[in-house]
Amino acid sequence: MSRGVVVVKTFVVNCGVLSKALWGGRFAQAATPLLATPHAPLIAPPSGRPFHTTESLKKNGKMRWEYLNNKMYRPTPIGETERPAFVAHVKKNLKYSPDKMWYIACLVRGLKIDDAINQLKFVSQKGAQFAIDTLEEARQMAIRDHYVEYPSNLWVSESFVGRGLVYRGYRRHARRRFGKVEYKHCHYFVTLEEGDPPQQYYTYQAKLTPEEMLQEYLKELRKRNVPFAI
Amino acid sequence: MTTARLTVRLSQLSLHALPSIRSSSVPLPLLAPASIPTQAQLTWVSYVHRDPNYKHFAPNFGFKRKHYIEKFKKDRKQKFIKVNLPDPNEKDDYDSMTPEEIRAKMKEKGIKPVRPWQERPVCISSTTSTFEPYVPPEGDGKVSTLSTAGAKQKIERLEKKGKSMMAVRKIRQFDDDFDPKLFAADAQEIYIASHRALADGDMNKLHQCVTERAFPLVTHESRHKTIRWQFLGSLEPPRAVHIRCTDVISKENIFAQVTVRFHTKQTLAVYDRFGRLLHGSEVVARDVLEYVVFEKHMANTYGLWRVHDKIIPDWMPPKQPVRRTYRVKEMEEEEEEATPSKEETSEVADSQNEKPAVAVA
Repeated sequence: MSRGVVVVKTFVVNCGVLSKALWGGRFAQAATPLLATPHAPLIAPPSGRPFHTTESLKKNGKMRWEYLNNKMYRPTPIGETERPAFVAHVKKNLKYSPDKMWYIACLVRGLKIDDAINQLKFVSQKGAQFAIDTLEEARQMAIRDHYVEYPSNLWVSESFVGRGLVYRGYRRHARRRFGKVEYKHCHYFVTLEEGDPPQQYYTYQAKLTPEEMLQEYLKELRKRNVPFAI
Repeated sequence: MTTARLTVRLSQLSLHALPSIRSSSVPLPLLAPASIPTQAQLTWVSYVHRDPNYKHFAPNFGFKRKHYIEKFKKDRKQKFIKVNLPDPNEKDDYDSMTPEEIRAKMKEKGIKPVRPWQERPVCISSTTSTFEPYVPPEGDGKVSTLSTAGAKQKIERLEKKGKSMMAVRKIRQFDDDFDPKLFAADAQEIYIASHRALADGDMNKLHQCVTERAFPLVTHESRHKTIRWQFLGSLEPPRAVHIRCTDVISKENIFAQVTVRFHTKQTLAVYDRFGRLLHGSEVVARDVLEYVVFEKHMANTYGLWRVHDKIIPDWMPPKQPVRRTYRVKEMEEEEEEATPSKEETSEVADSQNEKPAVAVA
């Protein structure tokens, strides 16, 4: 969320005498005692801080990827678990085909960042280097700006490819024929989250536990019906 | 076609030599006239006679995506019309380029040249530092003024200070009703307002409470953070301890700076973007001793008293450490990198100093 900073170059129209009235003249002591008793925490967030999302920051109805890192979350309420830190990064217009880059993006999903980079080092494709650069940059962003404590405590929660610039050229064929050539670029999007990755990234691939299998069986039994029965 | 004809001829020539070896009784169909080339055997050779410089390319059956013989690669390359692909991620290093090179690059990109003169209006609404800063006495704030030891402690009165009184007289030239004792109360209101504005994220209000010089220091690393600050009360009434006046550029352009001493009780809690507590606590109150410098542009009719600077003496105990661990950047030069980038350096965080328990009766 980006806040427009409006710098007030000149001052509020005010003269010296009125300013006293504005700030309140007399010194006011707090009514509550000042002994070291714990003070009740602020429950409601202070007013004046807007939590709006401007339409200009959205693309196709969704928040633009570059602005996902500006999203603010309210302080964790008492009793709830802490939200894990995340950082969303993108590297745009890499000179590589999106269809080829897709394979590399799929390889990296759901892995710890160190494992992901190690695997990519042994992929002898041009896109692998792009992916490594993106992951390293995202990791540095996480440590520097998003208060991630340990650089290795990150995993790849999202990894996908988008179509970038396409320059069109052409080529000659035999018998005075011509064919078009596309010089493709791709965008590589990545989200790193703090913590451990789940056991199964694709939930549909997860094997059912015996309890779940039992529930499924019971569901099937209960679904049985005799049609047109009284 | 010519390949076949040549090879046929060669084979015929070699076969004609054979009759000397074989017996003449057997009728040899090979002695037929050379005008029937279709009956002769053909041999395949992996080269093209047209190109005299042609190398022999061994067939590679391992890589299936291309033709198994690597022929005409250069010719095939020439069939693709060359397109100049601009690199979107290329970043020009303008520092190391000559003006002619920069001009050429800009022409290429279609950017118009920069205006030869650059006019920029400058508004001097605050000074850049505290002039003749106040030196707080050591041991200040450790003992309560209500105890015997505290009563014995000499409180330096502002009336006895010559330079400060001269400055007060200078301020009274512009503002007749200025009284340091009353001003201290107003200063506390401004101090509280500035903290509240920072916590709310109200930048317009903050500009009215804080000078341009102090604004980046106050808002440093406060973006994307939730700050919850509470003012619980004063332990001692605020006191103006130091007043100075100075002129900038011309003699009449006076800026006044007043240092006010605050001994207060506050709570501060800073949460990061994800709502995780980074610093402080919402519940635990802390005693805060601060020397805040307020500045006003006296020569300006619309001048306001605003927070300008904070005096941090050497004897002040260190700040509360950050909750998370971090790696300190190793600097090659021996620069004093006292506060790493992650530590809170806003005015609000500076205020959290560990003070021994002050018993207030």
